[in-house]
Amino acid sequence: MAGDHVSTGPAEAQLDAYLSDLAARLRGPRRRRERILAELRDGLDHAVTGHTTVGLPADRAVTAAVTQFGTPQGVADAFAGELATAYARRTIAWYIAAGPLVGIWWLLLLQPHPWRTGVLALLTAIPILPLVIIAIATAAGTFATTGRGMRWLPEASPLRALSATFAVAVLALVGDLTVIAVYTLSDSPMRPLAILAITASLTRIACSLVTIRHAAAMRRAIATTLDVSTTRADHNARR
Amino acid sequence: MLPMRPELLKGHLDALLLAVLEPGPQHGYAVIEALRTGSDGALDLPTGTVYPALHRLERAGLIASDWQTVGGRRRRAYHLTPAGQRALGEQRAVWDQFATAVTTILGRGAWPATT
Repeated sequence: MAGDHVSTGPAEAQLDAYLSDLAARLRGPRRRRERILAELRDGLDHAVTGHTTVGLPADRAVTAAVTQFGTPQGVADAFAGELATAYARRTIAWYIAAGPLVGIWWLLLLQPHPWRTGVLALLTAIPILPLVIIAIATAAGTFATTGRGMRWLPEASPLRALSATFAVAVLALVGDLTVIAVYTLSDSPMRPLAILAITASLTRIACSLVTIRHAAAMRRAIATTLDVSTTRADHNARR
Repeated sequence: MLPMRPELLKGHLDALLLAVLEPGPQHGYAVIEALRTGSDGALDLPTGTVYPALHRLERAGLIASDWQTVGGRRRRAYHLTPAGQRALGEQRAVWDQFATAVTTILGRGAWPATT
């Protein structure tokens, strides 16, 4: 309905102010936040049209629509879980994609001698292999239980998804620091391949430090939001 | 009719949203309105309940969305996927069984004393 477009000046300004307030309270991937705001803007326009259709003047219709949608903090809290899950999925997808790009150089550099075969030889040459396996399993499990896999598997909560993101970032950080330390302490020559591998790991270390900080902050924020929601639900149930 | 608290719908919201989208694509606010008018005002759910639930269903692959530009504004319309259609059928069957069992117990009247 093209007629749902709210075009009067003060009404438009009130809706813009509401959405700006909400935008300042949303935390998560930028594109996801923009899409939420665009969707809510369209919904608010529909609500305003609904109120004007039953006879409310434009300014009161906008106030009624904004009241109906809830306070910016309440709406931001309601979207916090979805935004946290979107952040976790995006970050884990990045680690899944970046893993081979970093790992390939270390694999070429540290691969065991051709005559030494077996798991033990591989573990001696690449000691972080167990960390890699745990990180891949955590990432794959979280990706599945926050996406289509949750139709068959138990759904991962936003808190669990953030914890998994934190864990994957820590495992990547420990893995990168370990391989750099092992190589530099082994007195091996600094070949171009080694420089490439160390540069790739240093880049991922920087990303992991940022991820650890973001995931921990988001986890604290979500835990606080859940506490407030639970208290509010308990309060409503007692009324 | 008195509006129901969203927490009472826990476990049934997914099925309700899928059912509202069954006839055809709807945008978020139309879903809220369809729930309200379809239930004579009993299911007057807040924005903060319905929109995130739609996003979650899309993440699960039970619904999908398309963005359109209408009158200069971006609009997101949701529709059921084949997996969503199957899930709705399964949830209807579960609800029928649940509702029959609860109605049988609640509709029985006062339980006789055992002593």
